[in-house]
Amino acid sequence: MTQTNWELIRDAASGSATARASLDAVMKRAWPAVYAYIRASGRRSEEATELTQAFICDVLLARRLLEKADQARGRFRTLLLGAVRNYLADVHRRQTAQSRAPRTGLVAIDGTEHGAGALVGEASVGHESTSPERAFNARYVAGLIRSASERLQRELEADGDAASWEIFRLRVLQGAFQGTAPSYEEIAPRLGLDRGQCAARLLVTKRRFASILMDELRATMVDPAELKSEVADLLALLTEGR
Amino acid sequence: MNPMQDTHGTPDPSPDQGGTHEAHALGNTLRWAFELDESPAIAGATFLTREIIPGARDPFDAITTGAATVRQLEDLKNAYKMLRTTGATAPERSLAARLYAATIAAAIVRHGAMITRQTPFALARAFEELAGDPDMPERIRDLGSLAADALGRMK
Repeated sequence: MTQTNWELIRDAASGSATARASLDAVMKRAWPAVYAYIRASGRRSEEATELTQAFICDVLLARRLLEKADQARGRFRTLLLGAVRNYLADVHRRQTAQSRAPRTGLVAIDGTEHGAGALVGEASVGHESTSPERAFNARYVAGLIRSASERLQRELEADGDAASWEIFRLRVLQGAFQGTAPSYEEIAPRLGLDRGQCAARLLVTKRRFASILMDELRATMVDPAELKSEVADLLALLTEGR
Repeated sequence: MNPMQDTHGTPDPSPDQGGTHEAHALGNTLRWAFELDESPAIAGATFLTREIIPGARDPFDAITTGAATVRQLEDLKNAYKMLRTTGATAPERSLAARLYAATIAAAIVRHGAMITRQTPFALARAFEELAGDPDMPERIRDLGSLAADALGRMK
């Protein structure tokens, strides 16, 4: 069973024997989405890295934000998104107070008020069509998919079924993210299987992947009854580009 | 520590991205993972059918229209054969067994080809069961009858 994010955060901030491992796990889960939000808000790469690190240490862990939050209502994704949005707004206020001329040439802070189209200068390179929320959600889902994929790979290989992982990797992940899924014609002989067996293995693997993905999602929520609506929301967010 | 470092061979879009293509790919992967969740027993067989014959409406169509080649029928047969044991539920495994027999029947009836090493006796019984299964669509039952007849002539 995957540890929930709240369990990890509590442990990471506790100074226990497993705190370091929990901190690493928190970093792995939260970092990419937070970083993507900050980058898409117009920060340069180095500054975004520093701010992400600071956010995780100062807000996520030191202030124990999620512990204080009403966990009964909490989805890790929405809490994290709200927290990083507020954090950046605070940073912006502090910087504006210190100097009327932002040293990074930054324009946009909050994607809801200042879309990515408003970004200027070097900081906006590569982000012309990406709102901070969209970048955050995409990275968040990417993290879930990656985490589930890694676990799937570990489990399949431990079962001595590396072939199923290979079929999944080539047909699904490579197909989705690189746009080129090799045919069963190419895959089957390499694995010593026939084409029908490859397809059947993919079906079994698909179901296992879905189950692991659900487990990963469950770890981000307090109320399991909200799982389905979280999946629907994520699909809508990715489809609609919000 | 670099939390973005990929060490497991999983494709990892650039953390600086979040654009349309990536969101599309992520959405498709999520949708792909969950699309079977609430479907009936036929969902697994339909998935397999479309993996082998992209664009096929369902297994019954793929088997009965006559458009499938012998090779595709053989691939379908092998896929359904495995689903007979790996299916998630008893109805799914049961359907897979019927579809397995139906692909062999289609190869005989449509192409005059034998794609199995099953004995004629076992085949005759499987085709009779196919023809008499009220849960199968009429076109599949008809295919079972035609295959049983064809098998009789081949003996």
